[in-house]
Amino acid sequence: MTSSPAIEGLKQALRRLPGVGPKSAQRMAFHLLSRDREGARALSEAIRIALERVRHCRRCNDFSEDELCPVCASPRRDHTLLCVVETPADLASIEQSAAYNGLYFVLMGRLSPLDGIGPEELGLQRLETLLDEGQIREVILATNLTVEGEATAHYIGDLARARGIRASRIAYGVPVGGELEYTDRGTLARALTGRHDV
Amino acid sequence: MIRISQEPAFVLHHYSYGETSLLLEIFTRQHGRLGVVAKGARRARSPLRSALIPFQLLTVNYSGRGELPTLAAAEPAAATTPFIGEALYCGLYLNELLLRLLHRHDPHEHLFQSYAETLNHLSGNSGREATLRVFEKRLLEEIGYGLVLTRDSHNGSPVQPDLEYCYVPERGPLPVDSGGESGIRVRGRSLLALAREELGDPDALREAKRLLRGLLARQLGNKPLMSRQLFHPERTTGTVE
Repeated sequence: MTSSPAIEGLKQALRRLPGVGPKSAQRMAFHLLSRDREGARALSEAIRIALERVRHCRRCNDFSEDELCPVCASPRRDHTLLCVVETPADLASIEQSAAYNGLYFVLMGRLSPLDGIGPEELGLQRLETLLDEGQIREVILATNLTVEGEATAHYIGDLARARGIRASRIAYGVPVGGELEYTDRGTLARALTGRHDV
Repeated sequence: MIRISQEPAFVLHHYSYGETSLLLEIFTRQHGRLGVVAKGARRARSPLRSALIPFQLLTVNYSGRGELPTLAAAEPAAATTPFIGEALYCGLYLNELLLRLLHRHDPHEHLFQSYAETLNHLSGNSGREATLRVFEKRLLEEIGYGLVLTRDSHNGSPVQPDLEYCYVPERGPLPVDSGGESGIRVRGRSLLALAREELGDPDALREAKRLLRGLLARQLGNKPLMSRQLFHPERTTGTVE
C-alpha cells in the first residue's frame, strides 16, 4: 500500500516526537485520521496556540506565556533563593516535591565541553546578570548527578562565590524507602562521604 | 565477529543512541579507543546505568561485528572515587584530548596505564598542573610526536641546563645562537625537567606548559579544546573586553 503525500507528511511530522518510530507514527496517523478527527483538530490547534504564546521567562528562562512566569512574579516566593536546574522538566519535579519556595533558573542544557557546549554556548551570561542584581543570597545547584551536571554545578558555584553569594549542592544518597543491599556502589560511596550528624 | 571479555576500560564520553541506549566512546587497555553500544543503558533499572561513568576503571565485555560492538557487561574494577571540582575539569580535559588525538582501534597500552595513574593523581589535591603536563608529553610520544628533550637538534650535543633553546616543532631544541629563532623559547633546565617528568619548579612548569600547548596545537588544528574554557570563569562575563 502506498499512502498519500499528506499521510506521509503527517507520519514524518509525528516522528519528530521523542520515542516515536516509524511504526508508532503510522499508528498515530491512522488513529487521528480514522477515529479521532476532532482530536486531531484540537491537537493541531493546541500546537499552534502554544507556539504562538509560549516563550521564555525574562528572569528564570523557564517556559512562560507572560514576560515573567508565575513563579518569578509571585510575591510569596523567597526571592533570595535561586535553584539552578537543567530543564523545565527538572523544575516541574522540584515543584511537585513542594519542598522549595524560592526562585529558579533553567539552563536549558548543561556544560558539556566534549559536545562543544562551553559557558558561552550555554548562555551563562544571563545567569551572571541575574546574580549581579544583588538580590540573591544563595544559589542551590540542582543539576544532574552526571559528569556534565557536576561540572556545570561547580562552574556556577564559582560564579556565585566570586560575587559573595553562598552556593550549595543538592544532597545525594540512598533514595527514600531504598535498601542498602540494592543500592549501586557509586551512590553508596557518595552517601558515605556526604553523611551528616543525627 | 569479535568477543572480548574482562577487558579493563574507561568511559571517555557517551551519546544518546536511540530511545534507551547509549553510544559510548571507551578507552580499553589492549584495543585502544573504540565505540560500543550499551543497549538499554538509559533505562531507569539498567544495571549498566550507574557503572558507565567516566574516570572509573571498569572491566567490560563486548562482542559484535563491524564498527560498533555491543557492550554486554561493565563492572567497576576499583574503588569509586567521586571526581569533583577542578579534578573533574582536568578529567574532562584529558578525555577531550584522547577523543581528539587517538584513532579508534589503535592500541596504546602504555598510555592506558598513564591515563589510569594520571586520574589517580588528579583526584588528590596537589600538583594537578604538573600531572597534566606529564600526561600531555606521554600522549604526544604515544601518537608518534615524541619530544626531543635531552639532545639539541643542531649537532646532537647534550642539552645544557643553563643554555636557552628554541624548540622547533618536529625538529627539537636548537640553541638560540644557532639560528633557531622561529620556535618556542625554553631554557635547557626546563627541557631536562620535562624529560625527567619532575616539574616541581614553577618556572619549569610554566615553560613546559607553553611548549606542550604549542606542540599540541599543531596536532589539534583550528578547533580549540572546549574543556580549557572551564578553567577561566572570569572570561564568560559580558563585561570583559
